[in-house]
Amino acid sequence: MSVANCSQFLNQLEQWMEGQRPADAQSHLRSCPTCQGLVEDLSSIEQTALSMGATETAPPDRLWASLRAQLEQEGIIRTEAHGWIPGVIHWFDGVFSAVPRPALAGAYLVALVGISLALAGPGYRRSNWNDNATRPLSAQLEAEQDTLAGVPSDPAVTASLEKNLAIVDNYIALCEKSVQEDPENEIARDYLYGAYQQKAELLAEMSERGAGQ
Amino acid sequence: MTAQTQPVGIPRSWKTASVLLPGLVLMSAGPALGDRIERHFKVESHPIVTIHNPTGTVTVRAWTKAEVLVIAKRATDRVEVDTEQNANRVEISTRQIPDNASPNDLRADFEISVPEDTELQIHDDSGGVNVSNVLGDMNVETIGAEVALEDTAGFLNVNTVDGGFQCSRCAGRIEAHSISGNFRFAEMRSYHVHAQTSEGNIFFSGEFFPSGIYQLKNYSGVIEVRFQPGDSFDISATSLKGKVNNEAKLTPSSHHHSVRGVGNALFGSMNTGRAKVELSSFDGTINILKRD
Repeated sequence: MSVANCSQFLNQLEQWMEGQRPADAQSHLRSCPTCQGLVEDLSSIEQTALSMGATETAPPDRLWASLRAQLEQEGIIRTEAHGWIPGVIHWFDGVFSAVPRPALAGAYLVALVGISLALAGPGYRRSNWNDNATRPLSAQLEAEQDTLAGVPSDPAVTASLEKNLAIVDNYIALCEKSVQEDPENEIARDYLYGAYQQKAELLAEMSERGAGQ
Repeated sequence: MTAQTQPVGIPRSWKTASVLLPGLVLMSAGPALGDRIERHFKVESHPIVTIHNPTGTVTVRAWTKAEVLVIAKRATDRVEVDTEQNANRVEISTRQIPDNASPNDLRADFEISVPEDTELQIHDDSGGVNVSNVLGDMNVETIGAEVALEDTAGFLNVNTVDGGFQCSRCAGRIEAHSISGNFRFAEMRSYHVHAQTSEGNIFFSGEFFPSGIYQLKNYSGVIEVRFQPGDSFDISATSLKGKVNNEAKLTPSSHHHSVRGVGNALFGSMNTGRAKVELSSFDGTINILKRD
């Protein structure tokens, strides 16, 4: 199948990520910043997975299964509407199948949020935004936060992490308010997703500290 | 995020090995050594030095010797300092002796001298990180520790949670992320700066190189950029709910259009617009001011 537009490129995205790169797909990618951004995001996630393999950080299956179900159910990804997404998810599962799994989820959590943001990239978000769009991310991060409540650490460091978690939560609330007021505001959405990503990274830091105790 | 690392080759010649292999020992500083510990490591070009010190200051300076000198001062003997050399990599770390010691008892301060082409990887939760005149790549991660770099180059990657970051006369590529740390970039000579802090302020003053990219972003706080009349850059400054104050004489941009929902936005070119400057804030203030 030739690749002339984004939709056709996305249908071949799984093969692209697995290294099959026909000339017409390369040609489309050179001229399309949106698809370039998506490929860069997924490549970054792949690198994260590889580094996780090297450091033996591990993801709990429940996290991805839960997040994916929520993403599909509540709006960020809709497999029935976007036929390319199952392929990417299949690729994602393949990437992480090589990663050891017995330990904790720090970097994996970041990767999960990363892929959910990549799948909900700007173009896609623009056409699919609704009030529930960030609920799965929020719920997943809050669930992860709850599991970290008892992580031991230097009290000053713990206090600092918790203070900054509150700061990020505050920005999430502010950004959500802005998005609710103006759902078409792309900049507000980007700040919101950025805040979620920051929260994921902070939780990952706390998670890894817990693992290292 | 990690800085780019350069592969470290295993020395192939026996001559080289005879120099390096004696360093392949793990040295732990026991209480008998007292509170000051000194170690020397012979290295080749482009050595890698990693420092893991949860509490205390880490000061790294470049010198002209092909040697890494580590001087550690421990607060008590409840913290041990381990040093290890493996080929051209020197690893320095502190670890807590199982005890109910307070964080202050576990403090260790380091003064480290390295060749100027050293790659540094530093992890320091609280205390401070100071690096001067080191030209290799650098990856610094802290929680609350302040980070101060002077006359550095290479790919600099700095991540803090609430520690501030100050960079003076830094060149190369800079990536900096924080949640509530303030960033100060002074007398900069970098061709690529990407800095994001959520609640902190960002100050930038320095050269804008042709084709250079300068991206500064926060959620709240002040972003201040200082320019000179001869500087040449294409600028976009947007604050969703805050203000943009500008002293630069800009030519209106032909390829930017009004942005929906942005409280204050500014797009334009100064002189021929050779560098790219992107400033963005959620509800903070952006100041584009003349340099004194």
